[in-house]
Amino acid sequence: MMRLRKQLSAALLAALLSAIAFLWATPFLWTLVASFRPESAGSADMASLLPDLHPTLENFRNALDSGTFGLYYVNTIIVVAGVLAVQCVTVSLAGYAFARLRFPGRDFLFYAFLLQLMLVPPALIVPNLRTVVDLGLYDTLPGVMAPYFASAFGTFLMRQTFLALPRDFEEAAAIDGAPWWAIIWYVLLPMAKPGLVAFAIVSITAHWNEFLWPLMVINSPSNQTLTIGLASFAMGAEGGKEWGVLAAGTLLVMAPLAVAFVAFQRRFVDSFVFSGVKG
Amino acid sequence: MTIVTRLGMGALALTFATAALPAWAQTKIEFFFPVPVEGKLAREMTRLTKLYNESQKGVEVTAVYTGGYDDTKLKAQAAAKAGKPPSVVLMSANFLVDLKLSGDILPLEPMLKADETTRDDYLKDFWPALHANAVVDGELYGVPFHNSTPLLYYNVEHFKEAGIDPAKPPRTWVELVDAAKKLTKGDRYGFLMPAGYDYLGWLMEALSMSNGGRYFNEEYGGEVYYDQPSMLGAARFVEDLIFKHKVMPQGVTEAGGVSTQFFAGKASMVLLSTGSLSFIRENMKQAYDVAFVPKNVRNAVPIGGASLVMFAGQSEDSKKAGWKFIKWLTTPETLGGWSRFTGYFAPRKSSYDKPEMKEFIAKNPDAKVALDQLPYAKPWFATYQTVAVRKALEDEIQAMMNGKKKADQAVKDAQKKADELMRPYVEQTSLKLP
Repeated sequence: MMRLRKQLSAALLAALLSAIAFLWATPFLWTLVASFRPESAGSADMASLLPDLHPTLENFRNALDSGTFGLYYVNTIIVVAGVLAVQCVTVSLAGYAFARLRFPGRDFLFYAFLLQLMLVPPALIVPNLRTVVDLGLYDTLPGVMAPYFASAFGTFLMRQTFLALPRDFEEAAAIDGAPWWAIIWYVLLPMAKPGLVAFAIVSITAHWNEFLWPLMVINSPSNQTLTIGLASFAMGAEGGKEWGVLAAGTLLVMAPLAVAFVAFQRRFVDSFVFSGVKG
Repeated sequence: MTIVTRLGMGALALTFATAALPAWAQTKIEFFFPVPVEGKLAREMTRLTKLYNESQKGVEVTAVYTGGYDDTKLKAQAAAKAGKPPSVVLMSANFLVDLKLSGDILPLEPMLKADETTRDDYLKDFWPALHANAVVDGELYGVPFHNSTPLLYYNVEHFKEAGIDPAKPPRTWVELVDAAKKLTKGDRYGFLMPAGYDYLGWLMEALSMSNGGRYFNEEYGGEVYYDQPSMLGAARFVEDLIFKHKVMPQGVTEAGGVSTQFFAGKASMVLLSTGSLSFIRENMKQAYDVAFVPKNVRNAVPIGGASLVMFAGQSEDSKKAGWKFIKWLTTPETLGGWSRFTGYFAPRKSSYDKPEMKEFIAKNPDAKVALDQLPYAKPWFATYQTVAVRKALEDEIQAMMNGKKKADQAVKDAQKKADELMRPYVEQTSLKLP
């Protein structure tokens, strides 16, 4: 009896979770189905989740035709990778400084740094754009990256990660005569990897999906990123939407991230639960 | 000398060295354009720009796609503030007042003078309804490029099925309600209109104008008439369509959703822009036709669309180049071609005298109806803080469409919010007394 009840409740839980998973996945399913549906702008079953019997690649062809997508991919990857590479250096050094170094005004400086999280990015568009112009980076990919080289969120995350690590390891290394950079590189960073990976995921998705700032900085068609390419058929204000093309374009933009997530899902999850320090 | 300044000077020298060669021959300018209808237009605009660059040697234009109308305004203003003003921008026609008041755009009068023409002569070929949105405080600030008005699209098969003569579409609000009641059946609604931002304000202007109103003071950027009988009647009309006659679904449907419902036969009559004509023509499978926006007091619709403006802060050479490009983009031929490609109507009357245009109109009678409605067109609302003042009304009407507010309260609250937004301007102008 008890076992039956246990089994029943397990089955119920599974059913409930699948229902939630299905709800959550509906937009993705629809995008997938609609992108292969022929001429979905006019068909009555535009909103249907059932795949069409005669799938077509026409929508993808139309979407790809509306811009130089190959170039957009390359530009987006350069921006995302460039931002992340610089951020890894700046946030781990800043996080280390706030976690381990002692200097006057440290806590005040740290909280002042955190204040940056409260600013809404659009408020900074004009001042940032001025700086970018003064640096001669207007209409360049480094201009898109520059404002993100320092990250308040990343610094906060790395500081917390370093604080959670026991000092024993560093002290052992220090006794052996390791300089500060060697301690960070060989001792602290390997143990702080989960924090870095978590930050990398946030950073990559944020910059991959960003629209407004690249739109502000970039003029040359050869420097444009994926989101701007997507906007050319998603922003229709007065006309209708060609749902099929829209879905195909959305799929093209999000596919690399989705594939990466599925491929590295285990690693992602592991990175959150593992830690360098055991009991 | 520090390293930084030395580097800076080196870079400067390099810039001069590389810039010196083409600078004699060519002026490079930037042209910002939004894509208000669909992606294909971005390619067509890029193609046009390339055509221009190849047609002459003096000017090289870089066409920059800049998102929606609002994004384009944001980007152009941010770039200007950062010291990189674009030369020419295709700007939503009702942003001109706002941009003039903030000093972002240039009056085009000096260019007209250099061309030895007058404003009246220059505007003569443009439809009269467009003049008000191109001229601010008595000076020309924009050249109309593509324009639209709201239009009633209806499903001919549904009309026949409901026993309504498709040759006699509703002309008045009474007839509209009557037809919509007959057409509403099962999960199909008789009437639907977009209620997303931008579109809703425009359509409420159309309804209040059809109700005898003006929406805003065309001569002065500090007044709107939200709580007046003309707008109150329009708001009550929309409220009744949803809650009393039950011929329109409750809630807010975006423009993309409205055209899709129309294609799918889930909505029999829809109010959409004439700018959607090509899109509807290509995608509607059932027979459809178009008609004027039904009236309660008089026939009247606002224009929509975009004008070419020039930004302040550019060099004399850049100004000359930009004006040359504007003139090329607004020849009757180019405007006619763009009109046939998009469905917008061409702002120049002479575009319609060209043989290709005559042939096109003969082949597409729906485009003719849109053109026939033009004599009834009036200016698009344009005030101090246009977007915010428009949203003040839209937020309230949306709340009404969701059943959260009554029409009478909605227009009162909208007026109050709009007045607050315009107060700084009003206090500097009308209420600034000796």
